Amino acid sequence: MIWQPLAVAFFGGIAVWFGVAVFRTRSMVRSALSLLASMAAIGGMFLAMEAEFLGVLQLMMMATEMAIMAVFMVMYMMDPGGLGQMDMSHQKRSSLAAGALGGLAALGVALLVDWGPIAPAAPTAGEQTRALGIEMMTRSLMIFETAAVTILVAMIAAVAVAIGRRR
Amino acid sequence: MTTVALTLVLLVGAYLVAVLEGWTATGRFRPAAPLVAGLALFGRESLVPRRADRILFETAPVLLLVSAVLAAAVLPLAPDLVVVDLATGALFVNAAWAYVMVALVMAGWGPNGAYAMVAGWRFLGQLVAYAMLIVMPIATVGMRAESLAMTAIVRSQESWWNAATQPLGFVLFLLAAMAVAFLPPFDLPTAPGELAEGVAGEYTGVRLAVFRLARLVLVVTLAAAVAVFYLGGWLGPGLPPWVWSAVKTLAVAAAMLGAGRFVPRIRTEHLLEWTWKLGIPLALMNILWVALTLWLGDR
Amino acid sequence: MTTLLIALVVGAVLFAVGLYGALSQTNLVMIMMGVELMLGAAMVNLVAFWRFLHPGAFSGQFFVLVVMTVMAIEADVGFGLGTGRFRAKGSVEMEEAAELKG
Repeated sequence: MIWQPLAVAFFGGIAVWFGVAVFRTRSMVRSALSLLASMAAIGGMFLAMEAEFLGVLQLMMMATEMAIMAVFMVMYMMDPGGLGQMDMSHQKRSSLAAGALGGLAALGVALLVDWGPIAPAAPTAGEQTRALGIEMMTRSLMIFETAAVTILVAMIAAVAVAIGRRR
Repeated sequence: MTTVALTLVLLVGAYLVAVLEGWTATGRFRPAAPLVAGLALFGRESLVPRRADRILFETAPVLLLVSAVLAAAVLPLAPDLVVVDLATGALFVNAAWAYVMVALVMAGWGPNGAYAMVAGWRFLGQLVAYAMLIVMPIATVGMRAESLAMTAIVRSQESWWNAATQPLGFVLFLLAAMAVAFLPPFDLPTAPGELAEGVAGEYTGVRLAVFRLARLVLVVTLAAAVAVFYLGGWLGPGLPPWVWSAVKTLAVAAAMLGAGRFVPRIRTEHLLEWTWKLGIPLALMNILWVALTLWLGDR
Repeated sequence: MTTLLIALVVGAVLFAVGLYGALSQTNLVMIMMGVELMLGAAMVNLVAFWRFLHPGAFSGQFFVLVVMTVMAIEADVGFGLGTGRFRAKGSVEMEEAAELKG
């Protein structure tokens, strides 16, 4: 299957390109939409790696999430259009060093470890969705319910913080 | 071959929906109007606003068209007439419709204009309102079919259509579909009288033609999805399957275009209030209802 | 083996970019974008390991779902706190938030 490494590399390149563009552009909405493009490319990688449900879910969720991020940027940042010339970063060199160090550590682990035999085939997409559902409802039910309740609590807490005090 | 045939069907469907829209809006049936208007747009001059964000400005209509076409790629016209029969088709149409919102946010921010920007962010509020109402009825439809593939969902309706067994979900999905395509009364992004066509206001010439075509294709895909999920897709006696699909899609499109004209435009805050305080509890009750009927029906 | 390595390398680079962004930006929203990139890189690695090493074990895919949920929760709470901070101080610059008092 020659298409799989090519597809993964293609989408991976797009993801990295837009990920770098997030922090290089001055316009805030472009920054949020670059992050969306990066996440959508990650969703494409999931689809290329035959995790169909996860890929589609990633595409759907990230569209909404990053658009919400864009509107929050417009609300809270001083120069959302990026037409001014302010540089909004600090400790550039140490963060570059930290990023490079983290990346090199991850690369080292990825390239130097013997990962063992590669599994030849993944289940078909229909079987995957069904198996994921059964897994969610039997083995991982507790984790899922905890995550669901945590999201509900987070929603209520965020609304409570944002609503402000009654005067 | 299937792809070419389905692309032609999509274009014919967009043309028919344009004629229907003209008929519901003006009361006169003018079959040549969409073609004349489209050709005229190609001939008009294309203006770009001063200091517009060019990348976002150019990408928005194209992204709207791409998202509508991607949604149409998984919709089946007949058992063997589908471009890609994804195993997670029902979720994929939802993902494609989410990029409608991204396109409208780009179209709102790109032109560097006040009305467009207000319209774009209003559509984001509209998305917060309709997003849950679009997904939860899809979940119940998938529950009955025990699969997310579109062909399986249609096949599960061979005894009774989903509109009969899940009426609450049908109504909610229909209303949410109208909100996705920003049809009246949910036409906040292009409020014609108030925001001077909002997100579409700064577009002229070819880009406006692409924007309008994209919106028509979006209405076609939404109507086709309502037909597939709730009205039994291609099932029906007598006529060939694709004729039934086309008839149902056009009927749903006529209903969506015609019914909204009698209600005034719903404001953002009222829309959010009604959907979150009434719509989501109803959608949850719908899920409970479907779960109970399926469980009791199996016993 | 090559596809697995390509995916892991992409994950490592995305993680590095996210870490740089999270450390170098002064604004809360931009820091959150860095964190989202790092979580995205983790998800890429998880799916690669699932597909190429253990495709029969669906707890791998489930882990990715949990990470997506965590991304949503983190964005939610982060923006709630950002809204509160903006209301109190008029900006969400983290340089000014070095002292928690007031």
